[in-house]
Amino acid sequence: MMVGVRKLKPMEVLDKDALTNIHLNSLELLEKMGVKVFSKEALTILDESGAKVDHKKQMAWIPPHLVEEALKKAPKTFKLCARNPKNDVELDGNHISCSTDGTGLTTIDLETGERRPSTKDDVAKSALIVDALKLADLYYPTVTPLDYPKHAHVLHEYDAALDNTQKHFVSGATYLPEEAVYLIKMAAAVAGGLKKLRERPIISAVACMMAPLILPLGETDAALEFSKQGIPVVAMTMPLTGATGPITPAGSVLIGNAQILGINTVIQMKYPGAPVIYSSYPMSMEVRTGAFAVSFPEATMVITGHIQMARHYGLPNYGGGTIGSAKIPDEQAAYEKALCGLMSMLAGGDVCGTIGLLENYTVLSYEQLLIDYEMYDMMLRLAQGIDVSEEALALDTIYKVGPEGHFLAEKHTLKHTKDVWMPMLTDPAPYGTWKDKGAKSVVDVAKEKAKEILATHKPTPLDRDVKKRLAEIIKEGEKGIPH
Amino acid sequence: MSCVGVEILLIDSLLCYPIKVVIMQEEQTVLSKLGEAVKSFDEEAAVEAAKEALKIEMDPLEAIEKGLTKGMREVGDLYERGEVFIPHLVAAAEAMSSAIEVFEPEILARKAKRKVLGKVVIGTVAGDIHDIGKNLVSCLLTAAGFEVHDVGKDVSTEKFIEKAKEVEADVIGASTLMTVTAPEQKELADAIAKSGLKAKLVYIVGGAAVTPQWAEEIKAVYAPDANSAVKAIKGLLETRK
Repeated sequence: MMVGVRKLKPMEVLDKDALTNIHLNSLELLEKMGVKVFSKEALTILDESGAKVDHKKQMAWIPPHLVEEALKKAPKTFKLCARNPKNDVELDGNHISCSTDGTGLTTIDLETGERRPSTKDDVAKSALIVDALKLADLYYPTVTPLDYPKHAHVLHEYDAALDNTQKHFVSGATYLPEEAVYLIKMAAAVAGGLKKLRERPIISAVACMMAPLILPLGETDAALEFSKQGIPVVAMTMPLTGATGPITPAGSVLIGNAQILGINTVIQMKYPGAPVIYSSYPMSMEVRTGAFAVSFPEATMVITGHIQMARHYGLPNYGGGTIGSAKIPDEQAAYEKALCGLMSMLAGGDVCGTIGLLENYTVLSYEQLLIDYEMYDMMLRLAQGIDVSEEALALDTIYKVGPEGHFLAEKHTLKHTKDVWMPMLTDPAPYGTWKDKGAKSVVDVAKEKAKEILATHKPTPLDRDVKKRLAEIIKEGEKGIPH
Repeated sequence: MSCVGVEILLIDSLLCYPIKVVIMQEEQTVLSKLGEAVKSFDEEAAVEAAKEALKIEMDPLEAIEKGLTKGMREVGDLYERGEVFIPHLVAAAEAMSSAIEVFEPEILARKAKRKVLGKVVIGTVAGDIHDIGKNLVSCLLTAAGFEVHDVGKDVSTEKFIEKAKEVEADVIGASTLMTVTAPEQKELADAIAKSGLKAKLVYIVGGAAVTPQWAEEIKAVYAPDANSAVKAIKGLLETRK
């Protein structure tokens, strides 16, 4: 069994006509309604590429041929590289990978169980856990360090991650190009220079667009800064159904799709071939209260629609996964995350782990981080589909055992024990055994496991000179990033 | 005389030494074959090695202890460390059991007694043919160092008692998956009480139809799964010694 490789054919949530329809309507929206572009640089790029632009109104009307040309220029497969190449992630439509969820502001303390503002230590600890989890591929800062200067939070997030994990780092949204500049400096210091960073981008960064159809100032400029250096940009759309997007899933799929095509056009016109990931994190409105949830069925439908649009374009996608609006690691968390996670994976998600947070990406729970990982691990096994090879059908062994025997000690059984899914937390024991072991809930077990990993896992440290250089860059960044 | 004696001794040891070395080497080879067969879960190889051991007239008890049991212990360690799994334990135990069967006539002929943790008679009760759980417990007990007499499935109370008497059992284990056949476990409990079997005999019940309450009602020991059954039996035999 190859871990992380999809063998099950992705589920179709949009048929061929619907895909075409959404695509053509996206083109029409970009051309006829236009898109609000707060970034001067982006407006200039669009202007010079032949779009109709009103610099004063900060509007651009992008002709379909530009959008389609940009789609052709965007690479269809690439790698998210890691400090240690054995942790590289393939984005090729066949591999599935798992990232942490982010970026929250609150942590449910592992010792006290109480909520408190999140700290750099939480970033460090969650990164350390990710380093220890074999199938957790990408580290996205789970929380932001509120005990450090807020304007330089991105730098401190990366700093804490570097000390604790060798896996690829996905920076959360950057809101200023200067943040990007200093983050790139840090990554270059680790990679051994800008050239090496371009060859093996060990970071990627989210560019969060604004719905309905806005390319915001700082985010767009930061995205261009990343693209200039060959850093993959996670182009993210987050329509809130009924609020910043139509209340119907199809409408929000459409508006989000147009947004991503818009930012991709800006990026590809300036930096042809720059890696862009199609990303979707919508929310749906609970119409009685006006509250929003990331994992209500409509939001999940939008996610699966976007995943399918991304696959239709051949762009790598990043969306959905084990997300939810529950406040504690409880049954609500479990079913929200299981349903959205499985749907994202079945729809053909490339990055669809998204582990660790509660309450709509805002609260870190160490227990939930491990429970989500367990769910992801199970889903990954399901994504393998049923192997029907001769070896898997086991006809010879069935004959050998006969109608009355058993398979327990058969060579075929022994040979395949390692292919069988094995739990880290899930308890299959009967009541008596479970009770004798302390009648622990899965949250109790996850708490113990988190403590065990934190106490025992030893990450590979950074070179001392690099550490020193990083400290200098962070100092410069704290001064240089406008605040 | 003394000189001659020394000479004879010298000649004797010079002559015998290489032969003894050869024998020891042969025995070592067979012992490691027995151990390896268990460790590689190879029933056929275990049986072959056992036959070889008999051919060179090895002490069967030594062959079991220093060959098979040693191998089994190593498999048990691997299991504890999570490197092999239940099917491997079962396969190793099956290889060991088959090899022991080869040794049994010779053990009887020598009137020797195998050192075991205890003797267990185990089976699925009359009317029930679900035996996978019972098989699992049976193998884990063998792996743990018990002498296990598996009487099979759909086993009458009489057959359980008869076998227990024959082998002087320390433990009787009765399994049932179905609620409708659970009363057979009570019948067996009553029969054990009247049978004159050892007073310290452990009667353990298991299977999906068994609850702790039911076990208590029929004065039997309850184990929820195979590992707990082995643990419970070990513990009880220790305290009832």
